[in-house]
Amino acid sequence: MVVLKYLFNVLVFPGLLFSALVGLILSGLDRKIVARMQKRIGPPLIQPIYDFFKLLGKETIVPRAASRRTFLYAPVIGLLALVTVSLFIPIFKYTAVSTVADIIVILYLLTIPAVALIMGGAASGSPYAGVGISREMVAIISYELPLVIVLLTIGKQVGMVLNKGAITFSLSQIVSYQAEYGPMITNWRLIPAALALLLIIPIKVGSVPFDIAEAEIEICEGPLVEYSGAPLAIFKLNHAIKMFIMTSLFVTLFLSGKGTGILIVDIILQILLSAVIVVISISTLKAITARLKVEQVLKFFWTYPTALALLSLILVWIGR
Amino acid sequence: MFKKLIEKSFEKSPWLFHLNTGSCNGCDIEIVSVITPRYDAERMGFKLTGSPRHADIVLVTGPITSQSRDRLIRTLAQVPDPKVVVSIGSCPRSTNVFNGSYSVEGPLDKYVPIDVSIAGCPPKPEAIIDGLAKAIEILREKRRAMK
Repeated sequence: MVVLKYLFNVLVFPGLLFSALVGLILSGLDRKIVARMQKRIGPPLIQPIYDFFKLLGKETIVPRAASRRTFLYAPVIGLLALVTVSLFIPIFKYTAVSTVADIIVILYLLTIPAVALIMGGAASGSPYAGVGISREMVAIISYELPLVIVLLTIGKQVGMVLNKGAITFSLSQIVSYQAEYGPMITNWRLIPAALALLLIIPIKVGSVPFDIAEAEIEICEGPLVEYSGAPLAIFKLNHAIKMFIMTSLFVTLFLSGKGTGILIVDIILQILLSAVIVVISISTLKAITARLKVEQVLKFFWTYPTALALLSLILVWIGR
Repeated sequence: MFKKLIEKSFEKSPWLFHLNTGSCNGCDIEIVSVITPRYDAERMGFKLTGSPRHADIVLVTGPITSQSRDRLIRTLAQVPDPKVVVSIGSCPRSTNVFNGSYSVEGPLDKYVPIDVSIAGCPPKPEAIIDGLAKAIEILREKRRAMK
């Protein structure tokens, strides 16, 4: 029975099927909103689902210079890590898996898709992929620091109230804090941290102002340049799931709370709030900005989001 | 189980790869104007990709110059099946005003079979969209014939 329950959790809800479907529709929403902002009609909402199934029907070519096994398994490794992360993120009060330190687990598992991209790109043996993976590494270096500070800030705020001052790393504790004291965003000390996380989401999912690794005009989509067919479809799926997971993490960290008590309503509420975050932090930025240079991304993330997150951390530390 | 869905998806999301084989840039600008807000080909699912490995439809512009001939053949071999080759403008059709030049080795159908040929110097964006709609039908037929 327990095995069946975990199997259901991994494969259907909140694992593979649910997060894939919601992620694909959210990225379709992103494309539609960007099109409307540019006064276009835009593709239908389910366009990413069409793209996914079309890529499944294409021929898969493995280049002669590639190391075959790593090239084909890299997207699957990324997908497995993302499905595991989706189990840990609470939907209001509901969690599939809950541990004492799930923030640390999420932090480590969320870097694996980027590492899988680096692995796949390095295995494909293309010079464009080589440039792409070096840029992906720069992106990882730039966003990890502010992300860790944001999570520390929230852990400290919750820990001071619920945990006698020790930083907490449990997402379910963060949710129960918000159920008691209202959503985290209503605390003015944490608004800079929320802004920092809103800037981290686009670079984490690789969307336009910060998509230095997959710049399709300069370096032909970087690490993905040699991929075709089903592996490319899985990489696109990873991209969509990452979008849902990052926005859902934002909702859990800043906008969560008691919920309504009915699971279905809570799930719909979580998806709607995630969609709002997609529109605010991904689509708007994509429509109004152009791609930054590599060193500009590093400089930007080590100044503004890091400073905002640090400001929040200091305010929380001296607050009470 | 997914056969019908995949076939439908081929109609709905054709990705384009644009290949310039010595064109004067006139046709290339018309291709770009197809994805502008006025014509917005993205509403039919068209998307310009950066890599031939991701493409379904290859748009070829320009007479084939001797510099670009080998690169044309190599790039088309990199596109995964099913694929459709669309020639844009009069140059890949007949080499147009560049006919007889020492460096022009066209027309395109000497090297690869063309599925859709759009005439004009340069063709109007409406004509390009019409040709792409025909290319989608051929793409679907090719997908059916694959299995």
